[in-house]
Amino acid sequence: MGWLAPGFLLGALTIAVPVWLHLLKRSASQPRQFSSLMLFEPQVRSTTRRRRIDHWLLLLLRVAVLLLVAAAFAEPYVRGHLPGTAPDKLLVLVVDDSFSMQVGTRLADARREALAIVAAKPLNTQAQVVALGARAAVLTEQVQDAAVLSAALRAIKPTDARGSFGLLTSMARTLAAGTHMPIEMHLFSDMQATGLPPDFNELRLPHNVTLTLHAVGSMSPNWTVESVSAPPQVWDPTKTRIVATVAGFGTPAATRTVTLLINGKSAASQSIKVPAAGRASVVFAGPDIPYGLVRASVQIDGADALSADDRYDFVIQRSERVHGLFVHQGSDSSTGLYFRSALESAADAAVVLDEVSPEQLRGRDLAPYAFIVLSDVAGLPPAVEARVTAWVKAGGRALLSAGTAAAQQRRLPVFDAPILGSHDYTRDDSRFTSVASVDDAYAPAGTLPGWLGIKIFYVTRVDAPQAQVALRLADQTPLLLEKRLGKGRVLLFASGFDRLTTDLPLHPQFVAFVDRLGSYLSGRTNRVSALSVGDSVDLRPDPAVRGSADVLAPDGTHPLDLREAARVRSWPLPAAGFYALTLADSRHDLVAANVSRLESDLTPASADKLKLWQATGGGPGAAAATMPAPSGAITAAPAESVHNLWWYAMCLLLVAVIAESLLASRYLNTLRESS
Amino acid sequence: MQNLLDPAVLNAISGLDLVAATVVDGFVAGLHRSADFGFSQEFAEYRAYAPGDDLRHVDWNVYARSDRTYIKLFDGETNSQLMLLVDASSSMGFASHAVSKLAYVRFIAAALAYLATRRQRDATGLVVFGDTVRDFVPPASRQGHLQRVLASLMQAQPQANTSYAAPLTHLQAFLRRRGMVIVLSDFYAPPADIVKAVTPLRIHGNEVVLFQVLDPQELRPTVDGSSMLIDLETGAQLEVSEDYVQGRYRERIDAHVANLQREARRAGIGYHLLQTDQPLDQALLQYLRLRTGRD
Repeated sequence: MGWLAPGFLLGALTIAVPVWLHLLKRSASQPRQFSSLMLFEPQVRSTTRRRRIDHWLLLLLRVAVLLLVAAAFAEPYVRGHLPGTAPDKLLVLVVDDSFSMQVGTRLADARREALAIVAAKPLNTQAQVVALGARAAVLTEQVQDAAVLSAALRAIKPTDARGSFGLLTSMARTLAAGTHMPIEMHLFSDMQATGLPPDFNELRLPHNVTLTLHAVGSMSPNWTVESVSAPPQVWDPTKTRIVATVAGFGTPAATRTVTLLINGKSAASQSIKVPAAGRASVVFAGPDIPYGLVRASVQIDGADALSADDRYDFVIQRSERVHGLFVHQGSDSSTGLYFRSALESAADAAVVLDEVSPEQLRGRDLAPYAFIVLSDVAGLPPAVEARVTAWVKAGGRALLSAGTAAAQQRRLPVFDAPILGSHDYTRDDSRFTSVASVDDAYAPAGTLPGWLGIKIFYVTRVDAPQAQVALRLADQTPLLLEKRLGKGRVLLFASGFDRLTTDLPLHPQFVAFVDRLGSYLSGRTNRVSALSVGDSVDLRPDPAVRGSADVLAPDGTHPLDLREAARVRSWPLPAAGFYALTLADSRHDLVAANVSRLESDLTPASADKLKLWQATGGGPGAAAATMPAPSGAITAAPAESVHNLWWYAMCLLLVAVIAESLLASRYLNTLRESS
Repeated sequence: MQNLLDPAVLNAISGLDLVAATVVDGFVAGLHRSADFGFSQEFAEYRAYAPGDDLRHVDWNVYARSDRTYIKLFDGETNSQLMLLVDASSSMGFASHAVSKLAYVRFIAAALAYLATRRQRDATGLVVFGDTVRDFVPPASRQGHLQRVLASLMQAQPQANTSYAAPLTHLQAFLRRRGMVIVLSDFYAPPADIVKAVTPLRIHGNEVVLFQVLDPQELRPTVDGSSMLIDLETGAQLEVSEDYVQGRYRERIDAHVANLQREARRAGIGYHLLQTDQPLDQALLQYLRLRTGRD
């Protein structure tokens, strides 16, 4: 036996009050007048007699009342089974509240069937209610009270989440691990085929779980804007192409009208023919996009049962191009050409590159530039180096390439590292070397494929133990390094961007690499145009920055409370729509969340698959299971459960109060008569 | 008729004179049916009128026939007088039921005064005392005297302590004629002291009777558990237990009553114990016994 709230047991100390009343107040009885005390003798009364308690039964009842009150608040419980209440099984009612359950009366039907199960449940059977959406949300404890279960079922609301039956199986395994009682699980769902995981092994149920499926709804045709491909950032809208794909599930061939909305206003509209149960794409070229963060949507005239997926929201940010400064030796004209060509070839072409010689850098104002590239510069005048270094320390970013010219110096300017020497691999037998290790987390180069195919002919060795190495050659020579300098960053490519030191400019990934470098150096973040419901947004890109974040939800509410606003780093998007974010560093952002289009396909899973799924558990169909039960499974007696004795304490309290009232009334009458 | 002597019934009657009349008339009516006692107010003899005699007693018929003035005398009509000494100390205010001890004493005193004045034509006097003499009505038998006695009884309120010495000493100066002295009190004092204080009243051949008036709760008190008692006269407090009250106290009160009775008889003083829940006829009967010399 234990107590759920043992602090309330301190209330038992109040039994001192009736004891005091019965023991001490007794000597302070009401004085009576008498004719004369002449015939009375002063008595020496024993202490024991004086302290004898009057009305033992009444005192015991009053003490019992106080103890029962304290016990009721402290909520006593026992582990095990009360006589006649041994639970025979655990009933788990799982209601699918995913997006597809919004079709027609699916959720209401599911809720009604679940309530019927609760109503027919034996009194001593424990049950639990679970809502299956983005996660398996346990809505109740394991209780026998049908009212609690019914209230939880009625509280289930449809969500924009994607349902996955794999989550249900995972939850069933967790439940089965916590109890050896047979688990009777009921799933009330539309049984979408897309809810089944690709790997059927993920659906395998524990041996003591019996799954009963309650399918609601039926196949309904449904159109949806399946996807939209749009650049998250644009500088020249005339070159922008927005491609939207419209899909039909179980639909006949039809013509749909597709509309592009910019900030809620119709910007363009097209009609496309969607084949039966097929897809069709439409392109919106050069839409008129205003500056700033733009709320864009593509929507169709779906006229189906699930209208919420007929619209796809996304965010486009339009801004000005940034300028970069490319400094190279006057004799080197090729690297600038390669670099600029690569930047301009990138899809978004966000950078305008200005080329200058080291001498021209002397009088150049560095403030307008987002980054500076020092391409194999043999040396910088001290004043110029000091200006560039100060600009970096103030928050700028610079990239140095150390080719054959730069290697002639004793130290690298700006990067401020001594040059240990150089290695000309063309003189080796292998004639070249290649990249051996890549830091995948490093944004400019991390996930780019094809590094192993790049031939490096010449490399400059520097002594920079504090620098982060992103690319390393086969002989462990660092090829791409980065170090902080004040508030800014300096990157070092320990070879050149020409064709003499590496064949990188000849490879396709050179364009992607330079594009990423341009984005990284100019401080542009990697935006995405749209997220899915359930995806998390990062409210604190820099964890070191302490500040309060805020989220303005599509319904106009602020879902973060003060504690969350001050501490939460990432926050999952709960529903479809646009979310205005205020990040911890006070920057503002806008993200769009869309319902997973897997929910748009309302095709139910095949009966064979569902039977197979049921057969994986311990139900009647288990014998037909084609998958073996897990070896080493433990079969044990039903697990003990916790029984709250609060109700019994209250019943006893009621009896004690009535008895006390009757007895006290009787004593009062006696006292009145005697007085 | 016996109900008319019940103190509880009498307590509902507002006027003390009416109470007295009710008690005595009822009591006399009961006596007429008795063969043992006779109430005499029959003619006894004539006596020549002397100055100072009450003209109301002159037999005017004899005067008309003989031209002489005679006083008509009846049996029992002697020169006796009745002195009622009423204790009105605080302890007399005790009551465990509707009738307090002082109220009971009022009824008795009023009835005795009525009986003596109206029926026996005795002179009746009254002394109301506590620790001192608070009221004194000299004995007389004239018309209207009874009302004065009753008025004094009505005004008596329980207060102060009891002292038998001072009032009785004061009373001795007024006892010039042979008569009867009735002391009505609860007698919460040592019996020897009471008798010693009362004995001087027997001068001039007076009959002295002590009526000890007690409440039933004083004789057989009941308490629930432990109780705190307050002395009505001194204000002293004493906590007593139930077992003491039902044991030791009863022994002491019984001994006190027995001692007082023994001491009184030893001194030739009459003694009677009256309880406030009992009819008043015992007190009247005792008075008549003494009056007729049959006690």
